[in-house]
Amino acid sequence: MRPLKDAQLGAFTFFASALPHDVCGSNGLPLTPNSIKILGRFQILKTITHPRLCQYVDISRGKHERLIVVAEHFERSLSGFQKQGKAASSEKMLQIGYEVLEGLEFMNKHGLVHRALSAHNVLLDCKGNVKLAKFGLYHMTDHGADVDFPIGYPSYLAPEVIAQGCFHPSDPSHDDAPLPSGPKADVWSLGVLLFELCAGRRLLHNIEISERLKFILTLGCMDDIVTVLAEEHGCLDTIKELPENVVELLRKCLTFLPSKRPTPAELLGDPVFNVISCHYTPFQKPISLFASSLRCAHLDLPDDISDLCKEDDDDFLSERAIDEVYHLWCLAGGDMEKELTNKDIIQSKPPVCTLPNFVLEDGESFGQCRDRSFLLDDTTVTLSLCQLKNRLKDVVGEAYYPLLEDEQSALPQSNSSNELSATVTLPLIIRERDTEYQLIRIILFDRLLKAYPYKKNLVWKEARVDIPPLVRGLAWAALLGIEGDIQAKYDSIDKDTPIPTDRQIEVDIPRCHQYDELLSSPEGHSKFRRVLKAWVVSHPDLVYWQGLDSLCAPFLYLNFNHEALAYACMSAFIPKYLYNFFLKDNSHVIQEYLKVFSLMIAFHDPELSNHLNEIRFIPDLYAIPWFLTMFTHVFPLHKIFHLWDTLLLGNSSFPFCIGVAILQQLRDRLLANGFNECILLFSDLPEIDIERCVRESINLFCWTPKSATYRQHAQPLKVAGDNSFGKTASYFSSDYQDMPNPDLSREPLALSDLKEEMSPRVSAADLIDLCELSLSAISKRNRASKPKIVAVDIRNVEDFSRGHISGSINVAFNLAFSPDGELLQCPTTGILQNYRGRVIVVISNAMQTAAMFSAHLVKVNFPRVCILDGGINKLKPTGLLTVPSPQI
Amino acid sequence: MKKVRGRSSCAVEKEFVFEFNAGRHSCVLKVPLQFPIQQNISDLHGRLMLLHKIPCFIENELKTSLTNFVEKETTLDYDREAESALLRLTSGDVDVNQLTNAWSRSYEETTLEHARPEEPSWDEDFADVYHELIHSPASDTLLNLEHNYFVSISELISERDMEMKKLLERQAAEMDKVMHELGNTLSDHDVNAVASQHFDAQQVLENKWASELKQVSGIQKHEYQGWVIKLHQDLQKSHNSSQINEEIKMQPSQLSEASDSGARMFEEQPQLEESFTIHLGAQLKTMHNLRLVRADVLDFCKHRRHGSSGSKLRRLQTALSLYSSSLCGLVLLVDNRVNSYSGIKRDFATVAKECTDFHFPCLEAQLEEVQQVVLYARAQRSSKHKEQPDIQRNGDDKSKNVERNPSNILPGEFYISRHSNLSEVHVVFHLCVDDNVRSGNITARDPAIMGLRNILKVCCTHDITTVTIPLLLVHNMSEEMTIPWCLKRAELVFKCVKGFMMEMASWDGGISRTVQFLVPKSISEEMFYQLSNMLPQIFRVSSTLTLTSKH
Repeated sequence: MRPLKDAQLGAFTFFASALPHDVCGSNGLPLTPNSIKILGRFQILKTITHPRLCQYVDISRGKHERLIVVAEHFERSLSGFQKQGKAASSEKMLQIGYEVLEGLEFMNKHGLVHRALSAHNVLLDCKGNVKLAKFGLYHMTDHGADVDFPIGYPSYLAPEVIAQGCFHPSDPSHDDAPLPSGPKADVWSLGVLLFELCAGRRLLHNIEISERLKFILTLGCMDDIVTVLAEEHGCLDTIKELPENVVELLRKCLTFLPSKRPTPAELLGDPVFNVISCHYTPFQKPISLFASSLRCAHLDLPDDISDLCKEDDDDFLSERAIDEVYHLWCLAGGDMEKELTNKDIIQSKPPVCTLPNFVLEDGESFGQCRDRSFLLDDTTVTLSLCQLKNRLKDVVGEAYYPLLEDEQSALPQSNSSNELSATVTLPLIIRERDTEYQLIRIILFDRLLKAYPYKKNLVWKEARVDIPPLVRGLAWAALLGIEGDIQAKYDSIDKDTPIPTDRQIEVDIPRCHQYDELLSSPEGHSKFRRVLKAWVVSHPDLVYWQGLDSLCAPFLYLNFNHEALAYACMSAFIPKYLYNFFLKDNSHVIQEYLKVFSLMIAFHDPELSNHLNEIRFIPDLYAIPWFLTMFTHVFPLHKIFHLWDTLLLGNSSFPFCIGVAILQQLRDRLLANGFNECILLFSDLPEIDIERCVRESINLFCWTPKSATYRQHAQPLKVAGDNSFGKTASYFSSDYQDMPNPDLSREPLALSDLKEEMSPRVSAADLIDLCELSLSAISKRNRASKPKIVAVDIRNVEDFSRGHISGSINVAFNLAFSPDGELLQCPTTGILQNYRGRVIVVISNAMQTAAMFSAHLVKVNFPRVCILDGGINKLKPTGLLTVPSPQI
Repeated sequence: MKKVRGRSSCAVEKEFVFEFNAGRHSCVLKVPLQFPIQQNISDLHGRLMLLHKIPCFIENELKTSLTNFVEKETTLDYDREAESALLRLTSGDVDVNQLTNAWSRSYEETTLEHARPEEPSWDEDFADVYHELIHSPASDTLLNLEHNYFVSISELISERDMEMKKLLERQAAEMDKVMHELGNTLSDHDVNAVASQHFDAQQVLENKWASELKQVSGIQKHEYQGWVIKLHQDLQKSHNSSQINEEIKMQPSQLSEASDSGARMFEEQPQLEESFTIHLGAQLKTMHNLRLVRADVLDFCKHRRHGSSGSKLRRLQTALSLYSSSLCGLVLLVDNRVNSYSGIKRDFATVAKECTDFHFPCLEAQLEEVQQVVLYARAQRSSKHKEQPDIQRNGDDKSKNVERNPSNILPGEFYISRHSNLSEVHVVFHLCVDDNVRSGNITARDPAIMGLRNILKVCCTHDITTVTIPLLLVHNMSEEMTIPWCLKRAELVFKCVKGFMMEMASWDGGISRTVQFLVPKSISEEMFYQLSNMLPQIFRVSSTLTLTSKH
């Protein structure tokens, strides 16, 4: 979005028309409220950026179908000219005409028609350039169908618009809404507007509306509309004095028959503008992040670089994008409803005074008087930025331009940086509400993302701190490594041809995160449909499983105006975290996944695992929707965002830890209850504290040896060089499968064998790494980030003394456990007890005994027990086994 | 339920022709397109490329050509439609006056700029003034004043009761005497004469008192409103607020003497109640409060004796929220006649008269208005039915019933009365039910249940955040209401209300509410706890917060 510059933020409000009582849609579901339809259609307007158009920023729903729209705003408008009562100069007229047409032409290109063009909707910025306001009203209200009031102002309506009639809900004689108006209706309105400027007075001002409209319709019989109008308003002389090209322009605009009237695009190229068109350069759309063309292609640096810093303007905030400023304004306590109420735009009667007297069985109510506060008052109120500026007055100028090359300190060094670093330790919810902190973070991310993919590493690093909500969509795309011309790729996928999956998609979409306004709007539904279809069509080896819709929801929500990016993110996410989950026959993948999950429960919380196994409450009963949708089916969107912010930083085994963390939050209730209660509990998952869940899953993740979550059906080893951008291969973000040295890694295990085990296996490589046995002893990481580990050798003493891993303890199997599985009291078990809490790696000759031993340990609630895959034999070739030196 | 009519679509098919040369071949691509174009041009373009295996060097050319074609044809369509509309006007198919009048009406009814200026409404001004005062230090005075008026009405009522009692006693004695003489000196005829004389005397006395009460409350209302307006003006005029405060404080002292003397006693009933906090919703959950209460329905309306615990607070609470956006509602089950002559309606009217309503018209006036509106609604309905005979009438006897007496209301319909003089309630929904609710086999489709749904809907649109619902859909227990009957009924109402509350989330965006389920006072304690055990099985009760130390 464009920087704010000298513009202001303005808000105006209107009501969507109420739905008829008790009517349902063709699919049998309740109808979508009109306000939600408008909200969905509004979104695309945020992407319409042009110097002649007021940038739309946001829309929000209030009570009782109220909508509040926020957009760029200027105090000055053409109605100021009218008030002065004098005619504008002909140059000024041409300039205004040309600039309005520029705006209109750009809108038409995007399929928009203004319809509400009038003097007070043509705003002027400080330099006197035209900015069209409320240009999206006609589009967002579905050509006026979703609101009670007519769109447009009586004097400016084009004759064909009047002739097509107005749709009024209380009028049963018109069942059909009038046909939408074309771009040429705006040209007429422009003509009226320009005429008013010439005449220096308002057209047909003091006449009753119906007479006004009749007069406009009668103009069809006139030969020379401009002259007739001038005569009517007693300004024939003024009109006659106008230069020829201005009169020509008026004539062309005020052509009665639409077919003879030029379109805005045609008029722009008209010779009447020959004088001034040379002053204007056509607008070039800034190139977005994922585009095929070079982003710096149009970057012109002045010869002298210091020219750039000539404007020593202190107002750094106004250089930020409008949506950023608005976002910060809201954080700084801005409340649109309050602002509008203060200006008396929102008036409300006490509800007790507006109650109906009588309601029929079908819900139709009677005896309610018409409430005047529901009438349209489309005055735009300027939102004052004082509070925000005051809040940010301590932020130094350098903070707006952080240096990215210095990898050491990402946060700018200012006097407030101490405060900021203190903020980092606060809970995420608070950080997301902190104006100053968000400003710094947004600026930082904005700059990093502009430098993507070059600054990919830094994005990763900063994302570990947190991701500001405003840039989450792009930040996630960066974390998922999206690159290339995604738009072209998305466009080339056939999203229209019917496929067999359509029916299922159609059924699922109206049930997916429908509490959210965006996703429940018809616009959201059609976007859902397209993205899902695109994914299904472009992945012929995979199929649509229910749950894919939920998975799509967060991406679509974040990139609502950029379907291609939503599609690209989803396509990158699924192979990373849900590899082969969407195969037609995915049972082997899911079975293995769930078994590994239950091993992880046993590993981290043996007591819970024992209880769940005892009541036979296996993960298959509750965890499939968790993992198949990566928790998007069970949590509301705002929780998913916080969860995924972390999930995207972890590798494909991170979801296991989230699952265990959720179970741990419900631990007390699970332990106290039997099978039936547990099923009930999970049928409608209770509230989960997501921040705690994230914190605990990170902790669990750090305690988990990487190879413990090995799955043979996981995504196979990536081709080397894929990470060529030098992603810091940190221990936790890289997948286990990425690791080198295959002979020390884990070997696939048949599912039936896997199901027998109680504890996860770890690979020899992991053991070497974690015990720091490696010969190349230069440890890259500090010790603190690694789990504490103890190797337990359960071979008999003779074998142990013939060679073992240094640091391992010897607990012979038969000495540790009584026949009934109780832990015996003896010195060796005492040692074992001392190491309780560490990761215990059981090493033996035969896997079977190790498995048995670990199962016993789990039975007596030893946490973090795992088995060395392949036993001691795996280690023999490495030469790492030591023989204790004879005691002297 | 009806389906919405779709917009008439005037889809036209046009053929897009594109010629290109690939090597030595010259090819022609012909695609039929539906106008107006619904889909994105880029999508269409991508699809054409894919379907027709267009070589990639044509890609851009095809796109430009396609865009131009669509643009041109769309403009032509617009022009054609526009001119046909203009033509209809000149040919006289459409009346110009009708058209322009529709436009101007549309502007006048929906936009502030063109709407007729609003006539000032006294009610609303008073509402604003009162709302301001009750949220100021003057609230205490207002409440005391209200209470004193209440006390004087109570005195009148007890005087009336006393006089009625005396009259009845005298008449009874007289009648005894007459009966004694029956057959001796007096005939049956004489006895009848005496009886009718007695009845007339009762009527006269009752009417006398009724008019006196009406007059007194009229005077009270007038005085009160005048006083409120004056106080407000004084407050606004005076910058010296301390003086006003003194003035405010003066008043209660002189009035409060009378306060405790004649207040009518209401027995404090031991209420049984249990509260629950629940979460509704699949992913996004909204919290609501539920309460199960065993009490008489009129307990929510009656004022308790002044000075009894919490009574003043409750009054203050009710007064504070009267013009706010958190109102309290109560569902009262009534029969099909809009009046207050019998049963619970009569009892309710008695309670509503115990204290003057300083804000809204008295109950009788409100009911009269409702009767008018009911007649109007019937007329509207029947004219609509005549217009659209295709819509099936639901049930012949129903419409017959309406035809017989259009002022009666049907089961599932309800009328609303507003009160400022009840202890915990602002809005009363008088829901019409018939004898069917006493039977054991009503379903979720029953009119009474649908009425509940509509009541909840009104609660949404008019910010009624607390609503009290009779759980068993009866106010009094009778013999046929056995334990299984109660359990079945309670389950039905719980489940339906749960469904409606979930539906409400889509109407109002999930505002937290309080729903109170009321059970008659005559059910046993055991039954009450059975019901309170049932509630958490139907609603998901949020878990108790366990505070654990950080580890």
